[in-house]
Amino acid sequence: MRSPLASRALLMLLVALIVLVYGFPYAFLVSTSLKSPQAALAIPPTLLPQQLSIENYANIGEHPSVQRSFGNSIIIALLSTVITIALAVPAAYAVARYATWAGKTFLFVVLITRLIPPVAVGIPLFVIMRALGLIDTHLGVALAHSTISVPLGIWLLASFMEGIPRELEEAARVDGCSRFGALLRIIIPVASGGIAVTAIFVFLASWNEFLFSLLLSSTGVKTAPIAIAEFKTQYGIQWGTMTSLAVLFSLPVIIFSLLMQKRIIAGLTVGAVKG
Amino acid sequence: MPVIRLTERRFVLLLLAPAGCFLAVFVAYPLLLLLRNSFYEVSLYALNDGVFVGWDNFVKALGSSRVRESAARTLNYTVIALSAEFVLGFGAALLFNALGKRSELLRTIFAFPLMIPPIVAGLLWRFMLIDNIGIVNHILETLGIIGDASDISWLGDRDLVLFSVALPNIWLTTSFVALVLYTGLQNVPAELIEAAKIDGAGNWQRFRRVTVPLLRPVIAVVLILRGIDAARAFDMIWIQTEGGPRFASEILSIHIYRAMIRYGNVGEASAIATLFMLGMVLASALAFAVIWGRGTSQS
Amino acid sequence: MKRICLVLAILVLLSLSLVAGAQDPVTLTVLVEQGGVWLQEAAAAQFEEETGHTVEFVNVPYGSVFDRLSAEMATGGSAFDVATIDVVWMSHFAPFAEPLDDLFTDEVVDDLFASLVADAQIDGTFIGMPTWANTEIIFYRKDMWEDADEMAAFEAEYGYPLAPPTTWDEFTDMAQFFTRDNDGDGEIDMYGTDVKGGVADFEWMIAVLQAGSPGVVLDADNNIIIDNDAHVAGLEYYISHHCDMDVAPPNVNEVDWGVAENLFYQSQTAMFRFWGHAYRLTRGDSPIADLVGAAPMIAGPGGIGAIPGPWFNIVPKTSQNKEEALQLVQYLYDHNAMGIEAPLGLAARKSAYAQYADVEGFENLNPLLETLDSPQTIGRPAVADWQQIADEILGPIGSDALTCEHDVAELLAWGRAELEAMGYE
Repeated sequence: MRSPLASRALLMLLVALIVLVYGFPYAFLVSTSLKSPQAALAIPPTLLPQQLSIENYANIGEHPSVQRSFGNSIIIALLSTVITIALAVPAAYAVARYATWAGKTFLFVVLITRLIPPVAVGIPLFVIMRALGLIDTHLGVALAHSTISVPLGIWLLASFMEGIPRELEEAARVDGCSRFGALLRIIIPVASGGIAVTAIFVFLASWNEFLFSLLLSSTGVKTAPIAIAEFKTQYGIQWGTMTSLAVLFSLPVIIFSLLMQKRIIAGLTVGAVKG
Repeated sequence: MPVIRLTERRFVLLLLAPAGCFLAVFVAYPLLLLLRNSFYEVSLYALNDGVFVGWDNFVKALGSSRVRESAARTLNYTVIALSAEFVLGFGAALLFNALGKRSELLRTIFAFPLMIPPIVAGLLWRFMLIDNIGIVNHILETLGIIGDASDISWLGDRDLVLFSVALPNIWLTTSFVALVLYTGLQNVPAELIEAAKIDGAGNWQRFRRVTVPLLRPVIAVVLILRGIDAARAFDMIWIQTEGGPRFASEILSIHIYRAMIRYGNVGEASAIATLFMLGMVLASALAFAVIWGRGTSQS
Repeated sequence: MKRICLVLAILVLLSLSLVAGAQDPVTLTVLVEQGGVWLQEAAAAQFEEETGHTVEFVNVPYGSVFDRLSAEMATGGSAFDVATIDVVWMSHFAPFAEPLDDLFTDEVVDDLFASLVADAQIDGTFIGMPTWANTEIIFYRKDMWEDADEMAAFEAEYGYPLAPPTTWDEFTDMAQFFTRDNDGDGEIDMYGTDVKGGVADFEWMIAVLQAGSPGVVLDADNNIIIDNDAHVAGLEYYISHHCDMDVAPPNVNEVDWGVAENLFYQSQTAMFRFWGHAYRLTRGDSPIADLVGAAPMIAGPGGIGAIPGPWFNIVPKTSQNKEEALQLVQYLYDHNAMGIEAPLGLAARKSAYAQYADVEGFENLNPLLETLDSPQTIGRPAVADWQQIADEILGPIGSDALTCEHDVAELLAWGRAELEAMGYE
């Protein structure tokens, strides 16, 4: 039998290899963004920039609509997060605490919505938003994003709330709290960690969404993913600028996620493991 | 007593009402519109009008070889993406589990792709896979695995492209699978493993007899969630190939988008989308019954 | 006197109200692709200055211009006052476009290429004002074509002097001549040209026009001609550089316009057929920056032929600012030449091209002019389901032909059957 030390080292090596393969594409993205637009397309390609260049980043300055799109993405994602949390917290509480017929049906319906391909409801949503006068508004796109994230939010939050000991609210009720009071004063503070994680996920879902944003925005509220895709023009793709945008677009999220890493992984796994 | 019960029911309904109303207006109603459009000949340019055509759109959709091929490709794509994610993800989870606490940094890096927008992932992989400029073939050539950078046409070879467009999906979500399964593994009670060890079970047997059955619910959820997401994939593939070459990477969501938005055949596309959704419901129910059902009957 | 006073007073009042009406500034929203911004932003800025109106470009990716406008039309939305659209979408949007017949005076018609005037109207009504006309021309390496050794070697082998190709045969000869294995390792290091299988739905039709077909796929009366002799000859010529000889990078399906351009600028191909705008976009730090030559598109048995890729400004009927929108469209036509100094360097008016044709750095304009002016440069049929024909029929035919395993005539017969299934005759 091999020594435990050797097998440990082997394991470590194996994991490092996987991580390397996984990290490589993003590292290459960053590396490409730091080449000149010309060098980005060199044949054969180079792993690292032979000469560092910020030209691709400077080019973004020529596209004010691209800069605006980042602002739009932030506003829409925040809006969608607020809507989702406001709707999902009470619903998740009801589902998690009161095993009523309505609650069960509700959870089932929420599960079903996960099966809907966005492309199927894109046009109907367009018609509805138009009727409501919400085409090309932050609210319209945020509502569309919320159709994805409200079910996700309910699902995640219900898992979190199931973990809260029942005794807590019972004690509060005995102390004379109303049902709403118990929810507001006990549950929400206790579940705030779970709510924060859910908010992050909802924000990310909106931040990354493509199809609804494409169909529902035009002049004012174009989001960043659309702006990035716009560098795919009729005659080809402007890889240089596109890579720099992709880096700028993903970097804040990545940094934020690394800071919040433990919470996010907890959120990722809670829905699946407890479900 | 009845007063209190009523209050509780009312309270629950009250809590559910806002989300319920929202889902009714922005999810259920669009689905109804979709269903309605399936029975009409509707042009993209006059969505509120249309001619009732009964089951025509469904007959057309079911009779179309393009739709059948897309459906088959959707299934293939899902199987490719899902099995790769599952095998790689499970492998990574076991490695992390074996390393224990020391894997924390590695897990963090591994979680990286989760934060990357699908659209960026699709573009990035397209960039890496183009045969001449792409870094992937260049690396393979440097390593001596292929003779020339043009030997593998990842996005141009009809037999290969469905696998190639699955790569960004696999890249993005293997970490999800790995992290979820890792958490599941952490929850397997050590005593059970120890007990099996004392019974003289080998590594593989312990894994098969103890770990896998205990993980079964987690595996079921992961497979179903990821399967649904893979089957619905759109932007990643659209940005890479738009379904080409010669429709070889056109899965149902791409076909529906093309028919609905590009060609403006809303009625027919809606019928296909309705069938697609029915298929998804059936497939998920089946998967659920098989994976979960077997697990509970065994235990 | 009283009368005169009255008339004067009325005139003053009228002019005041006119001025007030005209000076009420509006924001005009223009749906465009990136190229449309580049070519029109200078003129639009000048328009803003002169009129006080605001012009806002909504810059979307190529495909989204169609998708967005379609969605807009579908719901009667009025987000856009002007849209700059590709010629292939013209008939699609015809029912929603304001007639522009008043703008097409004889003077305007005379200054536009014939194929553009034809493409600008649907069923006899002008609905789009050409903004620029692009088409594929020949790009070649001056350093190779003007090299004394190469010239001597070529003439010795082929019996005529080396110069930019003008015919099918010359193009094939030169593609073979310049396909090289420089280091003798058995791998080709430079190809003579490329075959763009990634945009097969478009590329093989250029050869069809060069072969002398009166149109592509459908004739002027929308009758099916996809299986005529010129289609057979054109498709055969298109695939010959891939199937019959090894003069183009082999993974043709991956070669779209972007990749083809990169192959040329990275010295992987010696010449290629490409959109004329690329000449002006050649980057200063490109390894071949000063070595790019431009020549007119090659001629087949039917003469020089190409498919124009013009873009048009249309005014959606739903626009809330029609008057100002029409004013902008007219203004952009009047100042059409301003686009030539923009990155794409294109225009729609002959006079605009002529104005710059002899300026240094604009050597692509004469080849563009000659190619656009050829009688076999014919636009694609103006039918509403063109996109569907291109995606569902022309792409598959090109793609299947490039497998080199199919009989070309059989593929075209299949194309006829598919077109008939769509209701054409």
